[in-house]
Amino acid sequence: MFEPFTDVVPSFFGWLNQGPLTLTLFLHTIIILPMIWIYFDEKKKLNKK
Amino acid sequence: MANENVSVWTSIPFWRRSAAWVTGFATILLIWLTFDTLGQISMGTDADLKNGVKKRVPAPTVINYHIDYKMDAKRGHEVPVIGEKQLFFGKEWSEKEAAELLHLGKLTSQAKNCMNCHTLLGNGAYYAPDLTKAWLDPAWQKGGPLQAMTGKNTVEEAMAEFLQHPSQYPTHARMMPDLGITAEEAKGLVAFLKHMSSIDTNGFPRNFSKTVEQFKTGGTNAH
Amino acid sequence: MLTSIKTNSFAGNKGKELGMMYFRVAIVLFGAQLLMGLIAAIQFLAPGFLFELFDFSVARMVHINALVVWMLYAMIGSVYFMLSDETGHEGVGLGLGKLAFWVLTAAITVVVLVYIFIQVGSGSEATIWFINEGREYIEAPRWADIGIVVVILVFYWNVFATYMKGQKTGIMTVMVANLLALAGLYLAGMFFTDNISMDQFWWWWVIHLWVEATWEVFVGTLAAYALIKIIGAKREIVEMWLWIEVLMLFGSGILGLGHHYFWIGTPEYWWEIGALFSALEPVPLVAMFVHVLYDWGKEQGIAKGKGETGSVITNAPAMAWIVTNAFGNFLGAGIWGFFHTLPQVNIYTHGSQFTAAHGHLAFFGAYATILIGMMYMGIQYAYGAKRLPSTFKSKMAIFLITFGVVGMTVALTIAGYEQVLVERAELGAGWNAFFTAQELPWFVQAMVWRAIMGVVTLAGFVYLVWDLLTIGKVAKAAQTA
Repeated sequence: MFEPFTDVVPSFFGWLNQGPLTLTLFLHTIIILPMIWIYFDEKKKLNKK
Repeated sequence: MANENVSVWTSIPFWRRSAAWVTGFATILLIWLTFDTLGQISMGTDADLKNGVKKRVPAPTVINYHIDYKMDAKRGHEVPVIGEKQLFFGKEWSEKEAAELLHLGKLTSQAKNCMNCHTLLGNGAYYAPDLTKAWLDPAWQKGGPLQAMTGKNTVEEAMAEFLQHPSQYPTHARMMPDLGITAEEAKGLVAFLKHMSSIDTNGFPRNFSKTVEQFKTGGTNAH
Repeated sequence: MLTSIKTNSFAGNKGKELGMMYFRVAIVLFGAQLLMGLIAAIQFLAPGFLFELFDFSVARMVHINALVVWMLYAMIGSVYFMLSDETGHEGVGLGLGKLAFWVLTAAITVVVLVYIFIQVGSGSEATIWFINEGREYIEAPRWADIGIVVVILVFYWNVFATYMKGQKTGIMTVMVANLLALAGLYLAGMFFTDNISMDQFWWWWVIHLWVEATWEVFVGTLAAYALIKIIGAKREIVEMWLWIEVLMLFGSGILGLGHHYFWIGTPEYWWEIGALFSALEPVPLVAMFVHVLYDWGKEQGIAKGKGETGSVITNAPAMAWIVTNAFGNFLGAGIWGFFHTLPQVNIYTHGSQFTAAHGHLAFFGAYATILIGMMYMGIQYAYGAKRLPSTFKSKMAIFLITFGVVGMTVALTIAGYEQVLVERAELGAGWNAFFTAQELPWFVQAMVWRAIMGVVTLAGFVYLVWDLLTIGKVAKAAQTA
């Protein structure tokens, strides 16, 4: 699963790129996750009305 | 709690906030990635070349070295290999001279609109061959048909001759037009092409080689 | 289209007048684009055609520049057109906007004349400043770049100041924010560097973040406005969809930029980012298609429920073009883009006729269609027609243009497939590999069909112009009769 680093110059994003999909799944997740909080926050607001 | 059943999924504020978050955060990530990438694709220095430090985009003085393009087992694709010193137009170019020549070449590549027939690093128009690794094309090497037709003895002289008088050397019914390229500009363009061939393009173009034997032994048709 | 700006039914509404002025130039440039494309298509078949007089590089440069500029004109025109409707304000500083229109049009005329008659310069900074920058799509010389920025600042000020004074609808909020990003991105393409990797890195910031992010959101905004106008869709529904579209378009499109960073010297981590984010780019395009059909069906159903007969569509040709847009965007940008967006595929397809196939269907499906739709809306209001039914000419125009572009796309896809297999996979991309692949009969046949389909598209364009010139009068006559 975890493959040796193959990029030319090491970098944070290169480090996250540890094998199939690791980097992109990480980025998708941190983009989407906060929407859960937005969802419940909006739900609270709607219920208050 | 009168509105227990109200749906967030049809609420405009929910989508507006989500859109703002996703757009803003994706933009921040892109800017961060951009800084990271810019550091990696800025040109190396002459010292890097001398010390064998690999850069994705080497210094202009890379024109003083032999360049090859070989299979790298670890990375799983071909990578440029910078080898021994090699004269370019019969001389070794100083840092300043090489930088000036590359500057002239890059300017000329834009002034002559190369990209609206050829592709550079695969981008451009599709009317003429890709120039990414043109410097390494077997046809331009000793014994290759393109070098032979110009009657010159080195790749750089053959390319420069062709660029100045392209319609004198038709390689195909589809010819390159005469763009009024001067001798100096032609030298610059060849330096630009040689420099481009040394850029680490993650293995593009793939399989820049002809025979299975060459491919398996990690060799390419490039010289 | 040529109804006098002074006497048409919205005379005095400076925003709408200005919108129509932009539309007129846009349609002329659209014609220029098709003519140049035809010359380039002929040169693929008969390389001697206009050789060293008007070479492929020149025809192709004017072809793609006319494309970008006519679309920007029609986009600016659309914004001016909708400005007073959305904000409820007549517009701020439109006199200056009109001056900016003439300045821009004069500048573009000069740029095109220089492209055509001077073509190339010497390898010096002077060429970059005064002839062309030699960077695909944004070849405009530096002096024109600066002029364009100034004109766009005037345009943006018109829009922004009007927005601040008028009512702030969701549609207008998205429009104002998106236009700022769209205009700002142009600056990323205005510098010179000796480093070709750096050059292309920033070049893609302009090209990608325009056509796969900000332009797409722009289209979403136009579609929202048009649906309210044409079929009376409910604003709350349309605006909710618009925010969802913004979320998905920017969420996938901004980092989807990575699919241009596979092979230009940039690090390997872009393979994953580019592949996975751009693979999601078709999702919002499906959503937009569903949304247009859903709203149309819903409004028609409500009308039927009220016992009304007839269509809810008040502008049939505009609606036809907008539905074509919804599907064409998904097909051209979504499907044809996804074909070659994964690096495992793209290493062979990058820089082949595959890209050209995608480019033709995507620019047409995503942008040309809806902008033509906006022109029909302009006609409807210029003639004060309550309903604008399709004429025979409108139907011929949309059929021939769509058929022609799809035909060109299929032909180029076949050519690309052959090129990928022979030139890239089999022979390994060199000079000889390229020409060997270009000579094979299946490639040549595909290029013949591309030229034929180009002529079909041009015939459709003739119908389109003819229709735009006459349909308003027909509709008005029918209304008063």
